[in-house]
Parts: sequence; structure tokens; C-alpha cells
Amino acid sequence: MLFNSLPFALFFIVVTTLYFLIPHRFRWLLLLASSCYFYMAFIPVYILILGFTIVIDYFAGIWLEKTEGTKRKYFLIASLVANIGVLAVFKYYNFLNTNLSALLNTIGYRNTIPNLSIILPIGLSFHTFQAMSYTIEVYRRNQKAEHHFGIYSLYVMFYPQLVAGPIERPQHLLHQFYEKHYFDYERIVEGLKLMIWGLFMKIVIADRLAIYVNAVYNNSVQHSGLTLLLATIFFAFQIYCDFAGYSNMAIGAAKVMGFNLMANFNRPYISASISEFWKRWHISLSTWFRDYLYISLGGNRVSVPRWYFNLFIVFVISGLWHGANWTFIIWGALNGFYLVFAILTENWRKQFNHFIYLDTLPRLHRTLQIMITFGLCCFAWIFFRANSLHEAYSIILKIITFSGPFYVGEWHQLVYGLAAIAFLLLVEFRRANLGQSYLPLITNHWLKEQLVYIMLIIIILLIGVYDGGQFIYFQF
Amino acid sequence: MMVDNLSIFNFSKVVKKTIISIVTFVIILYSLDFVIGRTLRYLYFNEKSGYQFRTTYAMDSTKADILVFGSSRASHHYCPEVFEDSLKMTFYDTGRDGIGILVQTAILKSVLKRYTPKIIILDYFGDFEANKNSFDGPAFLLPYYRTHEEVRKTIELNDSFERVKLISEIYPFNSQILSIVSGNLKVSKKRITDNKGYIPLYKEWQARIDSIETYKTHPIDSVIKNTFREFISIAKKSGAKVFIVYSPVFEKYDKKRAIEICTDICNSENVPFWDYSKDTLFLNNRHLFQDVLHLNNNGAKIFSNIIAEKIKDNIYQSQPNGNPGQPILKMKSR
Repeated sequence: MLFNSLPFALFFIVVTTLYFLIPHRFRWLLLLASSCYFYMAFIPVYILILGFTIVIDYFAGIWLEKTEGTKRKYFLIASLVANIGVLAVFKYYNFLNTNLSALLNTIGYRNTIPNLSIILPIGLSFHTFQAMSYTIEVYRRNQKAEHHFGIYSLYVMFYPQLVAGPIERPQHLLHQFYEKHYFDYERIVEGLKLMIWGLFMKIVIADRLAIYVNAVYNNSVQHSGLTLLLATIFFAFQIYCDFAGYSNMAIGAAKVMGFNLMANFNRPYISASISEFWKRWHISLSTWFRDYLYISLGGNRVSVPRWYFNLFIVFVISGLWHGANWTFIIWGALNGFYLVFAILTENWRKQFNHFIYLDTLPRLHRTLQIMITFGLCCFAWIFFRANSLHEAYSIILKIITFSGPFYVGEWHQLVYGLAAIAFLLLVEFRRANLGQSYLPLITNHWLKEQLVYIMLIIIILLIGVYDGGQFIYFQF
Repeated sequence: MMVDNLSIFNFSKVVKKTIISIVTFVIILYSLDFVIGRTLRYLYFNEKSGYQFRTTYAMDSTKADILVFGSSRASHHYCPEVFEDSLKMTFYDTGRDGIGILVQTAILKSVLKRYTPKIIILDYFGDFEANKNSFDGPAFLLPYYRTHEEVRKTIELNDSFERVKLISEIYPFNSQILSIVSGNLKVSKKRITDNKGYIPLYKEWQARIDSIETYKTHPIDSVIKNTFREFISIAKKSGAKVFIVYSPVFEKYDKKRAIEICTDICNSENVPFWDYSKDTLFLNNRHLFQDVLHLNNNGAKIFSNIIAEKIKDNIYQSQPNGNPGQPILKMKSR
């Protein structure tokens, strides 16, 4: 059941209406049942996997709270092994086995272990990471163990963020299931507006751009450098609008019922550095890696070479989190390299900017920084989108040589795509200038505001892509 | 502004405000949807050129003796003059980019409600497979949902919620606004013009082929397969002479399974099936193709001549004395 589908709209209306009609003490049950139904709409049997990790982590949490000393570490390790084990089997087994086969082949051995024929459970990396954040926080004594099994299950399974985040922390979400949420007009309207804007980002921008991107990237050998360059830029906006669109719908749906989920995106393409980009892109995952991996490795409170290593390895693992493919690992490594390189060259860049008087022109300086950051992101996205490293390499070569004719495809797809990007940038820069958070328009004028969202729906009806399929991040 | 959850029915201020807001929102939205949708409908059916116009013309107006059905390959591979000169019949090509057998069958049903063509040629390039793209085409039929009952079943195959979506007046014209608007402006005269549905291509295939897309097989889709059979069946029942053609491709494509299915169905329906996918006259002949799947005008003329001659042979029964045979169909140019 995709957020951008009519069945979800009906599901959401029914669940929300019931939520406000039934007494508070039964609401967790409604939400849990509806979350189970939502998850089972994809592949029903996979709910057993989710159930397995929920049971393990629930008891791990209670034992972590009760026990002291080294035993606690064992409970934490048991919980992490269970979670990572599920990820390893369903997401990484075939990747590891295939690479092992290749490695053994080079030294003359044959790997006889077969690959598994399984489909990756939807949103596995998301709910696994959310579950792990719970046991780690209980272990760190930052969070009390949740003794209500239903509420804990709901923490992992809450349907708005079950399959693609935002990856919540127990301190932020768990207590909200105990709070009584009232029928609050302003909050409901804000949630609905967020859902409309998210839907717009997904089906008007992301899915429209996807048509050109898929046509080019799925047959990259036939396309020229200029075409591939445009497709890469389109992909940068596609993946942003796809994921941020989903996040907005998730946050909006939760908000309507009274839940506050953490923000996941904050205008990432107006970042002036890669470091800033990662503070604005997929915030819930970046902060997860910061809190649970980077800091655990020592963060920046270690020797300088070790600090660089910590930064780099966190991004490599972040790449692997996205997918079991070398393309994702290289994508993560590239981002890690960008960060380390930025730190290494910081003084040199400052001197250079001073030398060419760029530091006296802050606006121009920032604009250039934004453009360079966007260019670096796009370069990394090539690896993210390409089907193999070889393909990514040939795409980069073609872009550099710029050879061949420009592919237009269906001209109206290009027009819609470019118009959609222009509209998005207009909204993003306007929000940045006005300091607004995440909605395209906030005004006190009731009718004006209504008309803006009506127009968004009209545009969705006019040029939205209805068969765009699922969200890119569902596969992670 | 908070209200207890149980007081939703108590018509407190906040609930009243919510209801008034929702009702206002819906009224404004519906009114705008109605006005814009109706305008688009008027403009859509007012077009005088373009692929939308050609589909409308095929469904509502043509009375040609020979009708060609198919996708883009149909619209580029059958030259009207060749058929008209050779068979002394009128001709129209209903082929359209991106449409599959589901839409082609729906168009045929619309045509047969009005009249019976003498010859129906189906240029088939599908693979009978269950993949997402199989059901994309019915979106082309959405503008006709209200007025053409025979296309409704096909549209509803696409999505069981299609009827709900069609509450919107704009939805049937989704993603077509630029084409509709340009079709009503003077610029429409500069659009690629067709010749009785045939759209000639004039370039020669020059690009190097690094690799042909690897063919991934999916399970056979019984809906597609049955619809293919249905197309032949209703075309035959109408009294028209039916020919199924697999027109030439530049490179050999692995369509063995699809061709076997076509052959089986055509044999069981007793309808000629002509496979030109491996014809050496066309294979790898850059002068006859614009791209790997589409013949250029030169290629289309040669191919049309071959097909027209085969049809002629098929519909004239040879006499023992060698004289020209009696036509099965009464030929009269309209």
C-alpha cells in the first residue's frame, strides 16, 4: 500500500477517523492493528520477521534495564546480532556470497554455496535501525525499557514511518503513544498540507523526472555525455523529491493524529558544503550514524588520522546501508572522501578565497559553494543510480567527453521535468529566505492558503504521474 | 483550539470550523476541477492533428476499408498509397506510440460498433508478458471512458480504483495538457503530419549499436494473451479479413516465445500470421530503418508492397486456368 495511492488515502481516512472516535486507552491497539495491516499489504509473511526482532528487542530492553555489569553487554550484543543478522541474511547474504565466489574464482576455487532466492522485506533497514536505537538507548540508560509489549511493537511498527522512516529515537517517539491527542484543527490542517506537498513532490516532480532518468540510465550505452549529465541532475532532484516527498507524507500523516516525527530533510541542495549537506539530507539516518557509530568509534576526540578514518568508515557503512552493491559503497566512500578532503584543505581554501577576494563577496561565495556542493553530490549520485561500477565509470567518461547527440525523448516530459525543478527551487529558496520550515506557503490569509493547496492538487491531477511505482527508499 | 476526542459530533466550534473548511476546500477544488476538466475535454476533441486526434478519428469517424492496428511500429510501417493502389481500397492506420493489445482491442470494438472494415491488419510487437508496462496503455483511453462504453472494461483493468479517479474531470487528461493546448494553437500545423494515420520517418539509422537490451523474461500474462485472441476473434466475427503481422526489426530480438504464441493462436483461429522479424531483406539494413525498431519511409514502402501483395494473393483465389481469381471481398474504393 503506497502512500501515493487511493487505497492508502482510504486507509488513512478510516484509521484517522476511528482514532479520534475511540477512547484513548484503545488507540494503541487501533494503531498497532492498522500498522500490521499496512505492512502485510506488501508481503504478509514478512511480518513474522518483524515480529521476531520485536520480541528479541522487547525482552532485551527489559533485561538491559534489570541487569547490571557485563551481562548487560551480552544482552545488547544479542539484540544487535539478532537485528544485524536479519539484515545480513535478507539484504547482504547474496552480495557477500557473490563476492566470495568472485574472490575464490581468482584463486582457482569454486564456491558451491548457492545464493538465496528471497525478496528483501520492505523497509527492513529502517525498522531494524529504529529497533537498534531502542536497545542502545536502554543500554546507555538514556531510555527506560518499555514494558508494554503493544506500545513497544507500535514503536517499531508505527505505520507512517514503518517502511522508510524517519528513523525515530525512543526518547522522542515512545512517550507520544501514551499521550492523549486531541482533535486540533490547526495541527490537522498542517498535517494534511504536509501530506499534499509530499504527494506533489513525489508524483509531480520525482516520478516525472524518473521517466527521463530511467530512459537514459537504463540504456546508458546509447546516450551521449550531455544527455547523461542532464539525467544525473534530474536524478539528484528525483531522489530528493521521492524521499523527501515520502518523509513529508509520513510526518504529515502522523501529525494529523497528533504525533510529531523528526524532520528528515531541510533544503539539502542549498548546502554550501558536503558537511552541511549531510546535516540537511536524511537527517534521521545521519544522526543515527553520528550517535551510534561515529561517536562510538571516538568521533573527533581521537588522533587526527583516526578522526579521518572514523568519518570515512561511517560513510562507507552508510553507503552499504543503502544497498548491497559496490555502487552504494563507492557512493558512501566518495561522500566520506569529500568530508575528509574538505577538512584537509580548509585553510588552503580560505587563503585562496582571500587571494581572489572571494571572501569580500559573501553572496557570490556562497552561491559558488552551493553550486560546487551540488556538483559533487551529482557526481556521487552517478554511482548511486548506476546499475554497476562499470556502468558508472562509462557514464562519467561520457559526461567528461560530452560526445554524441542530445536525447530529448518525449519533449513534454522534458518541459514538465524542467518546470517541476524550477517550481521546487522557487519554493525552496522562498522558504529559505523567509526562514519557513517545510511547507511551501505559510500565511495568515485563510483563503489564499486554501487556494495554494487546491492549486497543488489541480497540478497533481493535471501532470502528476500515477504509475510511478514505489518510493526509491522502500528498497532499502 | 482543542476538543476532546468524543466531542467530534458535538458541533463545537472547532468541529464546525473543520467541517466548514473541508466543505469549502472541496467545493472550490471540485469547481476548479470541473471548469478545467471540461475545458480540456472540449479542447481535446477539438484537435485537428496529432496522436490524440488520430485515436479519436479512428474510433469515431473513419470508414476506411483497410484498418491497421498496432503501436508505433504500425504507425510507421504501413504506407497508405501502396495499399490503396494495390488493393483499390481506402486505408487508415490507427497505430499509436506506446499502446498495446488491450488498447488496440478497445479501439477495434469502437470501430466495429460503427461499421465493419474489409481488411484488418494487426501489427503485433508485444511479448504477452506480465509486466507493469502491459497495463500502461489504457490511460490513453481515459478521455473516452464517459462516451464509449466498450472501452470501460479495458480502463478498469488498469486499476480497480479507476472509476473513483474518474470523478475528477481533469484526471482523464492527465499529462496531456501540453499536447492538447498545442493541438489547438496555430503551432499544431507545424506538428508532424500524418498521412491517413501513417507517419513516415525519413532518417537512416546511423548510430552504433553497443548492445541490444538484455531480454528479461516475465511470466506470460493470461489477460494479454486472451485479449490478443479476443482481438482476432471479434475481428473475424465482424466479417473482416484479418492478418496478423510481425513487421521487420533492425536487429534480431529474442521474441521466440511471443512468436510461438502468436503462431499458435493464429493457427487455432485460422488467421494468417506473417513473421518478418528475421527477414534478411530488412535485418541490419541501415537504409531501411530510422532506429532499431522503426522502418523509415523507404523501408515502409518496400514492406507495404510485400504485405499488400500477400494480402492480394490471399484474398484472390487462383483459378485453375491461371486467370485472375475472384476476390473474396468485394473491392470498391470509397
